[in-house]
Amino acid sequence: MMMPPVKTSYRDRTQEFLSVADRLKKSLSSANNVASSSGGSSTKADATRSAVAIHSEFNKRASKIGLGIHQTSQKLAKLAKLAKRTSVFDDPTLEIQELTAVIKQDITVLNSAVVDLQLLCSSQNESGNISSDTTTHSTTVVDNLKNRLMTATKEFKEVLTMRTENLKAPPPPWANGSVSSSQIPSKQTDAESQPLLQQQQQQMVPLQDSYMQSRAEALHNVESTIHELGNIFTQLATMVSQQGELAIRIDENMDETLSNVEGAQGQLVRVYEKNALETYISPSFSCSWWCVIFILALEI
Amino acid sequence: MALNLRQKQTECIIRMLNLNQPLNATGTANEEAYKILIYDKFCQNILSPLIHVKDLRKHGVTLYFLIDKDRKPVHDVPAVYFVQPSQVNVQRIVADASQSLYDSFHLNFSSSIPRPLLEDLASGTLHSESIDKISKVHDQYLEFVTLENNLFSLAQKSCYVQLNDPSAGDREIEEIVEKVASGLFCVLATLAVVPVIRCPRGGPAEMVAAVLDQKLRDHLLSKNNLFTEGGGFASSFQRPVLCLFDRNFELSVGIQHDFRYRPLVHDVLGLRLNRLSVQGEKGGMRSYELDSSDPFWVANGSLEFPEVAVEIETQLNKYKKDVDEVNRRTGGTDGAEFEGTDLIGNTKHLMNAVNSLPELTERKQVIDKHTNIATVLLGEIKERSLDSYAKKEDDMMVRGGIDRNELLGVLRGKGTKMDKLRFAIIYLICSESINQSEVEAIEAALRESEVDNCAFQYVKKMKSLNVSLASANSASRSNIVDWAEKLYGQSISAVTAGVKNLLSGDRQLALTRTVEALMEGKPNPEVDSYLVLDPRAPKSGSGTSSSHLKGPFKEAIVFMIGGGNYMEYGSLQEFAQRQQPVKHVIYGTTEILTGMEFVEQLTVLGQKMGLGGSVAPPAPTH
Repeated sequence: MMMPPVKTSYRDRTQEFLSVADRLKKSLSSANNVASSSGGSSTKADATRSAVAIHSEFNKRASKIGLGIHQTSQKLAKLAKLAKRTSVFDDPTLEIQELTAVIKQDITVLNSAVVDLQLLCSSQNESGNISSDTTTHSTTVVDNLKNRLMTATKEFKEVLTMRTENLKAPPPPWANGSVSSSQIPSKQTDAESQPLLQQQQQQMVPLQDSYMQSRAEALHNVESTIHELGNIFTQLATMVSQQGELAIRIDENMDETLSNVEGAQGQLVRVYEKNALETYISPSFSCSWWCVIFILALEI
Repeated sequence: MALNLRQKQTECIIRMLNLNQPLNATGTANEEAYKILIYDKFCQNILSPLIHVKDLRKHGVTLYFLIDKDRKPVHDVPAVYFVQPSQVNVQRIVADASQSLYDSFHLNFSSSIPRPLLEDLASGTLHSESIDKISKVHDQYLEFVTLENNLFSLAQKSCYVQLNDPSAGDREIEEIVEKVASGLFCVLATLAVVPVIRCPRGGPAEMVAAVLDQKLRDHLLSKNNLFTEGGGFASSFQRPVLCLFDRNFELSVGIQHDFRYRPLVHDVLGLRLNRLSVQGEKGGMRSYELDSSDPFWVANGSLEFPEVAVEIETQLNKYKKDVDEVNRRTGGTDGAEFEGTDLIGNTKHLMNAVNSLPELTERKQVIDKHTNIATVLLGEIKERSLDSYAKKEDDMMVRGGIDRNELLGVLRGKGTKMDKLRFAIIYLICSESINQSEVEAIEAALRESEVDNCAFQYVKKMKSLNVSLASANSASRSNIVDWAEKLYGQSISAVTAGVKNLLSGDRQLALTRTVEALMEGKPNPEVDSYLVLDPRAPKSGSGTSSSHLKGPFKEAIVFMIGGGNYMEYGSLQEFAQRQQPVKHVIYGTTEILTGMEFVEQLTVLGQKMGLGGSVAPPAPTH
């Protein structure tokens, strides 16, 4: 059975509109003097053109950043898939590290681009050339980009944390000795096989060691990345205004809602502080502690 | 597939926000395109229950304005207009375009823009040489307000007054009928269904049905029609039935007091567009949203008030228990030490705990919200003894009368003037015959309490007109008074029949019973006389309807002309859920009215007819 055609519940009247306009134009041009009105419109066009020029620089940069964030999200999705794989043989450590470095670079670049954009926005707003609505529009665009970048950074942190957990998981039991057992020919006597086993076990130990070593190295890299992310993260968090998270209705009074939110925020902060203070912190806790800091910053 | 009106309307709006282009594979908008949204008051009411500012941002809308607000230019950005097709709006759009406020204009009208207005738009923009700014013109067919998945309103004010106005001329009645049919057409277009239409004969329901039927037929004949159902396979099992009723069919529902949570919140606290303002516990007004995203509201909206209070208590205890659990796990309360070695494990604990905190906070917010609402509600109930009103009215409807002393006791007791008036009117409606002495006693009691009894007089007149009629037959529209009388004939018979058929347990509304009969499709003397219209079928001269058009139906759209409320909605949902297998009923009305608002309309009608009114008439509120 064929798929039913896409249901549309609206009607496009554009063609009808344009044909009506054509018809009217014909009757108008024969009656009116078109030249007289063009003078006035040209000065209008000049004024708008300069305003448009200023603004389109902003728009260009904004869409570039937006595109960058979109592409980074796609790379993140790839990284997430890679990080989920926990097989010992096929551990794509190198790939993951490369991709992580690329994404980290992207996020840093995007972060500075957003900061630049914000500067451009505030300088434009102060120049006084443009309308208040345009100001609000630009500010909203910048906020929107910040939010999206923060979401991407959050996701990045989650993927890295997941990777950390996978790395810290104990190596599978068969990685110790069973690889060698398949190499022992079954015909050998026990007496002879003993020294062989020992030999092979001795061979296995360095293998095991190097495995553990590479795991530890990867872990270390990830943790340092998380640490660096922390800086970017707190920077973004302080910049982002509160618009993104609120469930404001279109017909709602902004002031009332903001005061309620501030009250709620205060409550939340108190709850988290209470929990934080009552946790026993050990010196080697610092890495995981950063994770907690992120989450706290997130929720605020 | 069950029809979900709210979801469908939201999808249409999101599509409109995306400039009517298909969404990306990821399902999110092309956020790179930022745009500005402009709407008028009516469309703001459509948008507010469905979309929050957060969602607007997600779809790239940076600014949103009312069309009649003073707006400044934002160059280089497209603007999406969502307005009703009216002269005022078109003029404003032309003005905006001539000032080049925005880069391009995507015009979306909530219903079909008539040709003359389209020409006005064209000539206006041509004159100001801004016609290139207009990118698109669309008819969205979204001129209705959806409050819940199965509840909608056409937001057409004072429909009942206009339809029952004794001084209304033919043309005015036709205009209203056209408006109602147009609103219903939008709903059907959004759902993309062509239902089978059933309605009682005579009265506004039949008129609306005829106009709607014609609209649908005309539309289906045109080339790119909006209803792309599978070919001509018109199995009635797949199509819903559209049941049209007029408020006079069951007048009592619009007036009586109900004691369930949702109707109470609406009637007593003034729930509007899913938003409620009540006095907060610490003083100052709090504003709450009550819709399908509130789990407590969804689960407990149809419970009686005392049960709701119990449920709040239960939820609160459960919450406290969960919070203690979280504290225990993270060692918050008894300061347990973490082992330094198992870092990840402890972090996991902590992370889980912290992750669950937002959920807990949200639960607490919901509990607090409903505690606040319930407290305010309780105050009102105690002050006006609304529980007593609800119970006594229910008793009256069941028994068909009430002890005289009890009746007068209520009228002299607690409650606002409106409460007493409503009680008196319910008495009139449910008593089989008018006992003159009792009525006089009531009127005296009402006068004592300084209650304006225009509405009471109006209903009394209706009832007396009805008593003298033999039976209601097909309406003739030539004489308005005749037609009005025939309306009333239906209402009283339906109500008394409802009262008589009652068995033990919940009294079922006449409306619900009738809808049940219509959906069942078995021969039933109550509904057999109802009109059957199928816009898909070729017009047959004899008017015989094929049997498959009479049911059974799995889905129904029930529409009440003249005003409805949450009580009717709740009753229909209960009925639908009770069926095996579960049926699906969407309920809509011209406007959702509290008891007070409806009685005010009755008062206006009483005044128009020059009846009663011992006290100065109340100032109109809308």
